[in-house]
Amino acid sequence: MFRKSTAEERIRFYREEWNRRDVPDFIMHTLSLREFGFDLDGSGPNCRYNQFMMAEQLEDFLKNKAPYSAYASVALYEKPSKREDWLKAELVFDIDAKDLPLKPCKCSAGEVCEKCIEEARVVAAGLADTLKNDLGLRNVNFVYSGRGFHIRVFDDSVMQLGQSERSQVINYITGATVPPQMTMNLGYSRVFRERAARAFERLDESKVTEVVKSKRVVQKIFSEREKILGIIKSGRIEDISNVEGVGLETMKKLLGQIAKLNSGLTDGKVTVDTKRILRLPSSLHTGVSMKCILVRSLDSFKLEDAVPKFMREGGA
Amino acid sequence: MALIPGYRAALDPFSKEAKEIAEAAPSFDKIPRDVVDLAVTRLKWSDRERALNPSPEAVNSEVLSFYLMSQALASVSYPYSREVHFAGQSMKNTVRYRIYDLFKKGEEKFCLETIARIVKINELDVAKPRVAGVEIPQQDIFKIRDKRLQKDGVVEVDSWLLPQYLPKYAVHWTGLSPILRHGRLDMTDMYLVGGWAVLTTRDLWDIYAELIGAKTEEYIQSVYERMLETSAPPLPVLTEVGGRISSLVPKAPESRGGFSMQGGKLRPEFFPPCINLVLGGVGSGMRNFAIVMLLTSFLTYARFPPRGRLVTKISDTTDDISPLKEEVAPLIFEAADKCNPPFFRDQPQEKTNVYYHMGLGMTTEPKIGDSGRSKWYRCPNCTKVQISAPPLCRPDEFCRSIKNPLTYYFRKKSESYKNGGS
Repeated sequence: MFRKSTAEERIRFYREEWNRRDVPDFIMHTLSLREFGFDLDGSGPNCRYNQFMMAEQLEDFLKNKAPYSAYASVALYEKPSKREDWLKAELVFDIDAKDLPLKPCKCSAGEVCEKCIEEARVVAAGLADTLKNDLGLRNVNFVYSGRGFHIRVFDDSVMQLGQSERSQVINYITGATVPPQMTMNLGYSRVFRERAARAFERLDESKVTEVVKSKRVVQKIFSEREKILGIIKSGRIEDISNVEGVGLETMKKLLGQIAKLNSGLTDGKVTVDTKRILRLPSSLHTGVSMKCILVRSLDSFKLEDAVPKFMREGGA
Repeated sequence: MALIPGYRAALDPFSKEAKEIAEAAPSFDKIPRDVVDLAVTRLKWSDRERALNPSPEAVNSEVLSFYLMSQALASVSYPYSREVHFAGQSMKNTVRYRIYDLFKKGEEKFCLETIARIVKINELDVAKPRVAGVEIPQQDIFKIRDKRLQKDGVVEVDSWLLPQYLPKYAVHWTGLSPILRHGRLDMTDMYLVGGWAVLTTRDLWDIYAELIGAKTEEYIQSVYERMLETSAPPLPVLTEVGGRISSLVPKAPESRGGFSMQGGKLRPEFFPPCINLVLGGVGSGMRNFAIVMLLTSFLTYARFPPRGRLVTKISDTTDDISPLKEEVAPLIFEAADKCNPPFFRDQPQEKTNVYYHMGLGMTTEPKIGDSGRSKWYRCPNCTKVQISAPPLCRPDEFCRSIKNPLTYYFRKKSESYKNGGS
């Protein structure tokens, strides 16, 4: 799994397997308002400014060109073929398994494995819960991108937001700021505790030594891991006084480091870019030979659903 | 004294009541002297002076002085400048004081109706607040109360004050986007449930005041952009008021917003896409517009922004010509050389034209004393760029909220300072 497809496999995929019914409704219903971009040969998405008035045109293009990668804009335009007269843009989050700040596996940089894809899935589910429960957003869609997940919010209440507001949403949902009040049952206080606890469980020594210089204190943090985890979960950081050898200042440094790591749970550049093109659900991710697919339920997501036929039939 | 219907204009200068007053008013050059003075003194008000007598005359003067102040600042300053931020803060403080004052006088309903015009409000059951079907836990109610008490430095509360510190309202967070955009509110400071920010009465008043402050800054930006479109000089009363306001602005750099970002070296990382395209050179049909009209005016105004007085020549902003020779001119000449064919090799007379458009007359060796020998051309608005050189307009997401390339630059620079950039 996760190997590059050949040109023949791409052609086979688009001619035999690709189906327009696999393009999500939120894209199909706004097809003519989106800019489409393509990487035709693996040299990058240089074929831009494409507009398709009808699904048949998109289908013809994909079946004829069998592109290396296919993308559609998160923005809707009056004139997508000129990228002019911007109307609104989905609020999107890119959770890339290869770039997770705390990876559960030993994948080398830029690589993905089933373990880190699973980690990205859990991260995406957590972020989406906050989008729905705290921010009250509806029409929150998930896409398996090939190397991770996209969360795509098609809710009119946020589609006009600018860069600064989108950047504030990232901070909120990832838990990227240590709140002054950590013990409230709801609101950001709870979001931060949940994200921080999860990150702390995955933290290794190297990340802690970046902010805590004393080896003795670092060792103490790991030997008292359960106690400290309980403190983070409760939010009562003053209880650190019950843990010998770890002071309040160290605890604050630790939380600051966790907040910083959590800010990397999504690629912020993708979220703040309201003209971004994102991989088209239904298309093939040639780099890893996986289908980019709409995920109806993250809980029941199975990686096998994204494996193209040519891989299932012994192409691996 | 009973409130008059038009009093809403005193809480929202962008309300229909305020707009009606502004539309019926005489031109600024015929405006009474006491209103002219009010446009300046309103920025020096102590809290007590912010209270407004609810008479039609007082409300009229209030609205006119607000618009005079805003237009005056747009004529002698630039978006995200210290002056503009100062005016936004002052407006916020004024509205905040008036809301609290009205509330104390039992006019809560009037305040709420005013606020509800610009942001959707949900009134909560104080005894058992529920938001989006979720009951707010009692412990959280106390913590929200204590947080606000701490913010106000209040140690003891009586039975009259206490209700102001209890969660009583909820507003949808997306309605707060102007203040989120300006960094006047941090989402992580909000208590959000189902999309609603739970607020105490005091939080609501403050947030409304912040919204009006942010809208004031955005309004001054829009006037600035409109002024760039016209070649006529601003009315003398605007430059007089603008100059007087500018002299009130605290000079010491402060940490927030535009307070430490005036002038200074050019920061190419904040240039808009059209300017970056011109810096890379353009084809023969666009060279004159791109190099002489757009790049020259953009770079000179970005490097020498107005500083609180009428600016018609570069020497109004500086006594030193060296930044122009060492920073601005090399960028222009380099871009000209990258054109196809190279602009000045092809048309050497255009080099003097560049200085001419900087207001330095026909010269190739400018001196500060040459300032004012010709007109210092303003930076064209985005619509002009789109019409005159369509290929240069490749807007990014930032372009959406601006109408002039200079605003793009000042805003990016301001945001960088806010985010802790140097």
